[in-house]
Amino acid sequence: MMKAIETKDLTKIYGGHLKAVDALNIDVEEGEIYGLLGPNGAGKTTTIKMLTTSTPPTSGTAKVAGYDIIRESLKVRREIGVVPQDLTADEDLKGYENLMMVSQFYDIPTAKARETIERLLGLVDLKEAADRYVRGYSGGMRKRLELIIGLVHDPKILFLDEPTLGLDVTTRSQMWDYVRQIQEKLNVTIILTSHYLEEVDALADRISIIDHGKVLVTGTSNELKAKLKGDIIQMTFRTQGDEDTIKKYPNFIEIKDNGPNSVRMKVQNSDEELPDIIKYISENKLAVTKMTVQKPSLDEVFLEYTGKDIRVEESPGDFRKTMFNMRRVRK
Amino acid sequence: MSGLGPLTARDLKKWYRNPVSLTTGLIQPFFWLALFGYAFSKLGAIDPAAIDYAPSYITFLLGGVLTIIGLFTAMFSGVNIIFDRRLGPLSRFLMSPIHRSSIVFAKIISAMVRILVQVGIIILAALILPNGLIFAHGFTVEGALVIVTAVVLVAFIFSSMFSIIAVRITRPDTIFGILNLVNLPLLFTSYAMFPPALMAGWLSTVAQYNPVSWSAESIRTVILNGTMLTAAQGSQLLTWLGGLALLAVVMLLIVYFVSEKEIRE
Repeated sequence: MMKAIETKDLTKIYGGHLKAVDALNIDVEEGEIYGLLGPNGAGKTTTIKMLTTSTPPTSGTAKVAGYDIIRESLKVRREIGVVPQDLTADEDLKGYENLMMVSQFYDIPTAKARETIERLLGLVDLKEAADRYVRGYSGGMRKRLELIIGLVHDPKILFLDEPTLGLDVTTRSQMWDYVRQIQEKLNVTIILTSHYLEEVDALADRISIIDHGKVLVTGTSNELKAKLKGDIIQMTFRTQGDEDTIKKYPNFIEIKDNGPNSVRMKVQNSDEELPDIIKYISENKLAVTKMTVQKPSLDEVFLEYTGKDIRVEESPGDFRKTMFNMRRVRK
Repeated sequence: MSGLGPLTARDLKKWYRNPVSLTTGLIQPFFWLALFGYAFSKLGAIDPAAIDYAPSYITFLLGGVLTIIGLFTAMFSGVNIIFDRRLGPLSRFLMSPIHRSSIVFAKIISAMVRILVQVGIIILAALILPNGLIFAHGFTVEGALVIVTAVVLVAFIFSSMFSIIAVRITRPDTIFGILNLVNLPLLFTSYAMFPPALMAGWLSTVAQYNPVSWSAESIRTVILNGTMLTAAQGSQLLTWLGGLALLAVVMLLIVYFVSEKEIRE
């Protein structure tokens, strides 16, 4: 079977020195939802821009829907739908008019375009709002409109770049439902980027974690979690010195200090190990004030591979500077 | 799959749906005629020869005003490319399978349509105003064609020029700066407002090579003389229109090649 997307050492260097994407190799199967997970500035958007032919790669190449992104960019554009991070609808036109205009870009006969647009509007519950100006839409409505603008020409592959960025929690899970329905009803391959773990976990069949423009690991959500090999048990003690005693417990994979009087223990299987640990604690008269068990989640997977917590990525410092530079050279 | 149709339709829709831009566009021609016409009307009283013995100053001035309206509206046509870039629609155009040049040509064509509407209104206004436009030698289809051709060519030349500048600009204030720098100099180094006889010698020399003069003088020629021109007048008219057409072709090629290559995010 033909791959929906296949990249070969895809590389993008901005301004001669800023390596946004570094010899990236990914394969996307037809019909799957594929998630690119990474912190801001990891190279997700740049990857999407190259695959959707709006930015040429510095080196390497890729095939999208079987066409070369450099030599056959016009053919690629016909086969793909794109929902970029920023909004693209014209606020001074009505929702329906935006959809019709983009349909015309693809030379779709008016009758067929009307039919498709009606169906898509129904799919994301925008029928009521179709005849209103986009400037009056809420944030969630705009995102839904963007979602179907990318679908008016019945593309084989849909690119979603941070589809729920800036939306509240309820609206976000609504968007996920819409994305799932689109995948089921329209039979389209979806490639999705996000820095929200829950989003990728909820939607993607397969996930690649990327950072600094490189793929760190690829697999299904369960595969990635299984690779962590073990659960984490966090314990805090009342008295100093207790944490040294617990370190003598015989059956763990790894144990680390985790703040004052506190440890982080990795064990093979917390369900089986917990009774023994509790026994050990009471035999040694340790005073535990807090004990939590963490089954592996994508958070831990992410931490394991990138060495940083995905949630602190909005902190100031070097990262801000990098983003600022990226934005500037991208313009 | 050029995209030119839907993009032009979009621009025109936004224009006629905006009540403010529509009314100001309709009122502006009256202002131009009334203010310029009466501000300089004493010129003809001093020396009828200075305004080519036109029956009224507005009759003399009309060719200039029509050209200026075309010039100014055209110069601003590229500004919306910058806003499309800022607000997002441009990235949608760029990821669609359309010719990139149609993004620019849509601006140029919609500007030309707007200008032609204004030209129609301005001519009507000139006929209505007291001491206004008088066609001393009648008004013919050929005369109307000359007027439309001159205005359309000026509109095309200048909207191409400023749209293609806008393609590589990301900040609106940059283009406004450029516009303000060149609009009045373009106007005052031409025969649009003043007859050659009243201009300083060096300025008159410069004005001969200004396409704004070519359009203003072409229109003036048919308004003052009808279409029964002397051989000298006829060949002069063809030279002016030919010059405009040549410039328009050059701009067309520049717009095509530059925009296909240079429009990007």
